[in-house]
Amino acid sequence: MTKYRVAVDVGGTFTDVFVFNEKTKDTLVAKTSSTPTNPEIGVINGIDKANVSGEEIDIFSHGTTAGTNALIERKLPKTALITTKGFRDVPEIRRGTKLDLWDAYKDVAPPYIKRRDRFEVSERIDYSGNVLMEVDKNEVKELAQKLRKRNVESIAICFMNAYVSGENEIKVKEILKEELPDVYICASSEILPEIFEHERMSTTIINAVLGPKVSNYINTLETKMNTKGYDGDILVLHSGGGVMTSEMVQRYAARIASSGIAAGAIASKHIAELCGFKNAIGLDMGGTSTDISLMYEGNLRVTKDWYIEYGYPIGFPSIEIMTIGAGGGSLAYADEGGSLKSGPQSAGAEPGPACYGLGGVEPTNTDANFLLGRLNNKLLDGQMSLNKEAALKAMQPLCDQFGYNEYDAANAILKVANANMCDALRLISVRKGYDPRDFALVAFGGAGALHSAYLAKEMNIPNVIIPPFPGVAALGCLLVDVRHDITQTYVADVAEVKVNDIEEKFKDMEKQAIELLEKEGVATENMNLIRHIEMRYVGQWRSLAVSIDRPLHSLTDALASFHKEHKRAFAFSDPEKGVEIYGLRIEAIGTVPKPQLPKEKPHGTLVEALKEYRDVYFEETGGFTSTPIYNRPDIPVSSIISGPAIVEQLDSTVVIPPEFTAKVDEYKNIIISLSKRGEA
Amino acid sequence: MEKMIQNKLDPVTFEVLKNGFVNLVDQMSEQILRTCYSFVIYNRDFSSALCDAEGNTIMQGTQDIAVHVGTLHLTAKAVIEDFGDDIHPGDVFLINDPYRGGTHFNDVRIIRPVFHDDRLIAFMQSNGHWADMGGSVPGSFDVSSKDHYGEGMRISPVRVWSKGEYLQDVANLLVSNMRVPEERLGDLRSQAEATKVSEKELHRLIDKYGIDTILTAFDEVQDYVERLARARLKELPNGTWETTDYLDMDPEIGDGLIPINIKMTIEDDEIYYNLEGTHATIGCFLNSSFGASLSGLYAGTKTFFPDIPLNSGFYRVIKAHLPEGTVVNAKWPVAVSGFCSGPYEKIMNACFELWSHVVPERALACSFNLEYLLIGGWDTRSKYDNFFMWYDWMAGGHGGRRDRDGANAMSPVFGAGLSVQPCEGQERLTPVVTSKHEIIPDSGGPGKYRGGCGIEKGGTLTNVTDTVMSVCCDRSRSVTWGIFGGLPSNPHGNWLNPGTDKEKFLGAFFSNLKVEEGDSFSRPSAGGGGLGDPLERDPEDVIEDVIDEYVSIERAKKDYGVVIEEMDADLDQYKIIERETKETREYIRMNRQKWLNEDVHVVHKMYKNGKIDKLDLIRRYGVLIDFATDSVLEKSTQQFRDMLQRRSVAYWD
Repeated sequence: MTKYRVAVDVGGTFTDVFVFNEKTKDTLVAKTSSTPTNPEIGVINGIDKANVSGEEIDIFSHGTTAGTNALIERKLPKTALITTKGFRDVPEIRRGTKLDLWDAYKDVAPPYIKRRDRFEVSERIDYSGNVLMEVDKNEVKELAQKLRKRNVESIAICFMNAYVSGENEIKVKEILKEELPDVYICASSEILPEIFEHERMSTTIINAVLGPKVSNYINTLETKMNTKGYDGDILVLHSGGGVMTSEMVQRYAARIASSGIAAGAIASKHIAELCGFKNAIGLDMGGTSTDISLMYEGNLRVTKDWYIEYGYPIGFPSIEIMTIGAGGGSLAYADEGGSLKSGPQSAGAEPGPACYGLGGVEPTNTDANFLLGRLNNKLLDGQMSLNKEAALKAMQPLCDQFGYNEYDAANAILKVANANMCDALRLISVRKGYDPRDFALVAFGGAGALHSAYLAKEMNIPNVIIPPFPGVAALGCLLVDVRHDITQTYVADVAEVKVNDIEEKFKDMEKQAIELLEKEGVATENMNLIRHIEMRYVGQWRSLAVSIDRPLHSLTDALASFHKEHKRAFAFSDPEKGVEIYGLRIEAIGTVPKPQLPKEKPHGTLVEALKEYRDVYFEETGGFTSTPIYNRPDIPVSSIISGPAIVEQLDSTVVIPPEFTAKVDEYKNIIISLSKRGEA
Repeated sequence: MEKMIQNKLDPVTFEVLKNGFVNLVDQMSEQILRTCYSFVIYNRDFSSALCDAEGNTIMQGTQDIAVHVGTLHLTAKAVIEDFGDDIHPGDVFLINDPYRGGTHFNDVRIIRPVFHDDRLIAFMQSNGHWADMGGSVPGSFDVSSKDHYGEGMRISPVRVWSKGEYLQDVANLLVSNMRVPEERLGDLRSQAEATKVSEKELHRLIDKYGIDTILTAFDEVQDYVERLARARLKELPNGTWETTDYLDMDPEIGDGLIPINIKMTIEDDEIYYNLEGTHATIGCFLNSSFGASLSGLYAGTKTFFPDIPLNSGFYRVIKAHLPEGTVVNAKWPVAVSGFCSGPYEKIMNACFELWSHVVPERALACSFNLEYLLIGGWDTRSKYDNFFMWYDWMAGGHGGRRDRDGANAMSPVFGAGLSVQPCEGQERLTPVVTSKHEIIPDSGGPGKYRGGCGIEKGGTLTNVTDTVMSVCCDRSRSVTWGIFGGLPSNPHGNWLNPGTDKEKFLGAFFSNLKVEEGDSFSRPSAGGGGLGDPLERDPEDVIEDVIDEYVSIERAKKDYGVVIEEMDADLDQYKIIERETKETREYIRMNRQKWLNEDVHVVHKMYKNGKIDKLDLIRRYGVLIDFATDSVLEKSTQQFRDMLQRRSVAYWD
């Protein structure tokens, strides 16, 4: 029987099913509409469309925006918070800050749990873990009765200083479990035993509001897949860049909060590595926004400082993804001061860019690309035609303002849009101490390949990789391992700390990690535990993580790595200064076999792929220039294409500007770089 | 829209460079946030700027704290003034002088000149609030000081790096006068490195675009902001608006609010602020220097134009007259370290009121006052034996708005990006156990749109010796007010050992109060003022507030005239008693003006008899009492009642 690996990426609009045939190494992408109310229906539809039966599926992995959407739309179960007396407003006070400092009419989103559903019990633990006040059993029982009466479906427990000792939290949890056996309950000390009450409470609350919902969804999906004959686990992608089984989803539901966007980052890492790059920036540019990620020396950047909605952090490590409001539909305009701007407002799906002829009147990047001849006037294999008159008309206000003709205006719009994206690329690279010249840019999403060569030129990024499919993100779900992160706050001066003590602490954490992996069904030989230690100069407030040996004999190497990383990130280090340990982390990995993408042999010739010549505007060649247009599926591997050229495929267009040369590699990636002298 | 606006750069280059400047300035901010030693900086009390060769600000950071707005060009100019031609590549300067454009001593500015081919073209400036600058009180906030000598280290422009060489002797001289000097050296290094990173970024832009284009862009970015601001102002009506806000008192005088008077005139495309009529400087550190007051005017104005970037182009459309020798323009050596809790917030909130008349769609009532508490002493917990500093500022309520309630529990308008500290971090570092950090019911000023709720934070000292406490706040008497018929919220002011027989009211500012093991304290922050007549608030909104305990059933009746009966609190079931609500609202409407004219001694007696409470005193009778001595403040009450007439009564029908 043929065996398939199936990855499903459920997005807001489309559900992508990526099928990999283990025998033939063939890949297939099926696209269906998402069904937001019951996402599993869209998943099953997609699998049916891909024509794969349950018995044939070997591994089924899944990335979903179900968690993200539930949070944003506040479609959450009735959830209660139980906390220490005097602290029920921590999730509302937060850190008191807001995202837009100056706009008094732009509020932070309201807390996930309203004040009426936040309850307190008498208890207290101090900074060192001593119990200052015991839990009163009767008080908790009374509260349980009240919660029962209120039909509470989920409970988050978070007490002060529970990162040092979860004793009181667990006592309360046990009583509640007995009193309310059907209610989902999670305690902060079991989820994320880290210092700072707001961040830990926020994570626990998000875990509680997503727990019942996400695990119901996964369970329903699992049942449906079982009836289709699939008897394996459903592996769910989490924001940390790994997968976990449905049982763990229940426990760590907050890790699913950005499952959907992690896939793209993982796919871009994999493709860059296939092409031989250890450093890469992923650029997933769609209609309204662009997601940017960064891989350095084979590792995606990870952050513990992220959120779905500002003010409500999720403390689990997550792949760092920067989302900016720049996409094909971003609107261009001139403001009152006479400055040309692009985005973040977008024409969205409706009315869409002016050239779609659906009522849009303001100019977008898509209109500009179309007017400059970069986009065909027929898209999606002719299913959609673009309206030139409407696009020309949309440019008019900018022409009046700046004295442009329509094509200059279109060119200017793209330059401003590209500059905005470069600013974002700088934030994630230069500003964090990375030199873009050491990186490759992996560009995908519907609009990524239209802009990527210019971005690379501006940023001095030597190579751009355009994967075979713009919807390559789904592939990301197939490329990851089972993964958990066990973290623990641990503060000690390096000069005074006993290495043995750290080793013991790590061993405890590793025991937990192994238990988790065993529950996931990972065989011992496939387990890989990596230790990280967070450090900072004594007196500093932020820390940096470095990986260290297992077992630990001395901190010398860790210290050297810390100074080096500080120097890399901030341009200075101070080896004379005292260093402090701030936290410990175990990255627990259960290796899952990965698909081997097929290599292709060249067949046919490049000339056969040539569709036509079209006039395309390039400032570099002084305006409209007759440019060859290729059909991507027909281009043989190992082809070399000199710019200017356009490569078209069903749902995306690649622009190879003058001065650039593109090569098609054996995986059918297009790699674009500045032409060497004499080559173009 | 005017067509073909004159810009010496093509629109693409201009937009690219403008954003490039934002980016390099924000890069400085991010770097100091990640490498600083002062937790005050870490919690976002900092700002950054790119200034041109004349010191004018080309761009400020997008996450900068409000209170530094419009002051960074002044300190850049102070360096130019003092060093003139004696500025060289590799130099780095430091200044914190409030009499030269600084704000207060803790705000230390590191200024790095940038050269191109031996020509001075720009300054990179990083401003961070250092946790201590020496002086008689930990944290360098001596409330009672009248001149600056005891407050902390005043640093006029000084060179700390000379042509790339670190002047260790100078740096040591500075930090030797501060508590925990090695951390201050850490801050110095962190800020200096941050300016270097942005210098490098500017050089990258110069390499790419050429020096002439960059210098043109420096001017154009300022001109652009000026054009944008002028275009907005032109759309607004000409006219003059005037208001007065108050500091609580001059401690040397006692009873009597201290007026800050602001007259705003919009004439075509410029704004004139005239602060004539403002009170002379007072005998404590709640005075403000010229630069800091100007910043309050800029920040108050900017709140109504949130999308206009901040640079000297914006400052060009604002003209101000700040009379010398008053609380808004104190001269050397008058103490000004408390300006942020004092005149600064009064100026900003007064601007909110004035602009609420001009741009009503962004209307905003008064917000709570910046409050910070410092406890410094010796930590005697086991494994600890060190000097500790518990330095904490609070969140509170923001003012009611045109179509919605004020925001609950936010950072002060003094700096919306300032982040409140985690109690767990504080408990680890200091022998203080926090007993509560929670919203105060009924703290939002009543209005058709309620002010946001304030917060109460309480704590107990566990293992300490030689420990003192100080507080810097205001508005225990000049209570956070409402507008357009809205009412005030609740007074600031701290309590020692609340609920015990040692209970004592400490007021909203005091310093060097001796405290010992077992002492507890409680600090309420104010809610925001209400906007609009509270009797017009939708009863359904009141009932929602009651369910969430933002408002009590008792005050729903007193403040809003809405009579609510509890059905089943466990199930959030309450109901509005329609007829009684109608009657109560009518009763309040008939009597409320009379209450505000009731004899103060009669009111005081009712309070002492327990017939009315503290909120009734303020909201219903407009009477101010000194809670420490339990005596009526007659003069302050009169001023407060006049204020209520103007801001609240005038809008009631």
